[in-house]
Amino acid sequence: MLADYFDGSMDPRLREELDAHLAMCEPCLVFTRTYQAVSDKTRLLRRHIEYEIPPEVRKRLETFVHAAVLKYPEKMREYRDQVERDRREKVAGLVVAATAGKLSSATALLMESHCVACPECRGYFDALRKTGAPKAGDPPEDIRSHVIALMQTLPPGEEFFLA
Amino acid sequence: MSDERWKEDEALLESLRKGAPGAVDELLRLYQGKIFNLAMSILKNESDAEEAAQDVFMTVIRKADTFQGNSAFYSWMYRICVNTCLMRLRGKRRNETVSIEEFMPVFTEEGMHASPMDDWSKEVERDALNEELGRMIRKYTEKLSEKYRVVFVLSDVEGLSNEETARILGLTVPAIKSRLHRARLYLREQLSRYLLEGKAG
Repeated sequence: MLADYFDGSMDPRLREELDAHLAMCEPCLVFTRTYQAVSDKTRLLRRHIEYEIPPEVRKRLETFVHAAVLKYPEKMREYRDQVERDRREKVAGLVVAATAGKLSSATALLMESHCVACPECRGYFDALRKTGAPKAGDPPEDIRSHVIALMQTLPPGEEFFLA
Repeated sequence: MSDERWKEDEALLESLRKGAPGAVDELLRLYQGKIFNLAMSILKNESDAEEAAQDVFMTVIRKADTFQGNSAFYSWMYRICVNTCLMRLRGKRRNETVSIEEFMPVFTEEGMHASPMDDWSKEVERDALNEELGRMIRKYTEKLSEKYRVVFVLSDVEGLSNEETARILGLTVPAIKSRLHRARLYLREQLSRYLLEGKAG
């Protein structure tokens, strides 16, 4: 197996044969080079491949773990408030972006497909488009939870608004 | 794993067992990022990853007493994380993953490579490409089925040895090598197509 060639565990006779072949065969040589480049680059580009924990997730996780461990009801309440606060902020952000026509194409598409099946959201976002300004206050809970569910189906790293 | 890290982990384990104040903070400080990253790479969804991370830390804190020390502490944590995440996946509607077979090398009757070979190995050394290339590797990795994806993430992204990865996943080293190899073949093919398209486009 090619992986053995690169990590040095290949049988020496087999290795010799492969080396001899590679000296004469361009496509195979290129194949081994590009194969090796995959793991080399992956190792090098680790920081760009790994998923960074967002600050609000980090904070919530800390609050949750502490609350659960210490079983302080106040801490648990704090955690739940944080979750609710972050949710509302996210939805508000999306509503503003939707009003300004600044949703990313991926999000706009998701939104459209959802609104086809959901009269409440359709009504809400249609009204938004007409008035050109978000209503004061949060959208109703149903719509909020639909929007959150929708945002969660975005592929990781995908932004919901256009820069 | 460095000696320093070993000592840090040993000390952490001790303080967790004693229930020392600050132990939980230290645990989170050292491992929050890693556990979230691992959970994300398996679950591909922030809210699932966050919930999984909660479960992982609760389990680790609860079971710090019973940890035998048969493996490294971080190895044990990763195992808990992988198992937690795979359990979650079992319950869910599966996301789209591609069939890895479509990306395996094709050979002619004479045993030669059937597709054109473009050598991009040197080109990708340019720093300017790095962030983009990293994003592409991540994107293609996400499309792999978990069977290959988890192995690739632990081995090539996180840099764990085959033995370590095998221990974490409860598989044999040959099984790890085989899956890793196929994951790399798949990525090699995806990246080749992507980089070739970039040139033609």
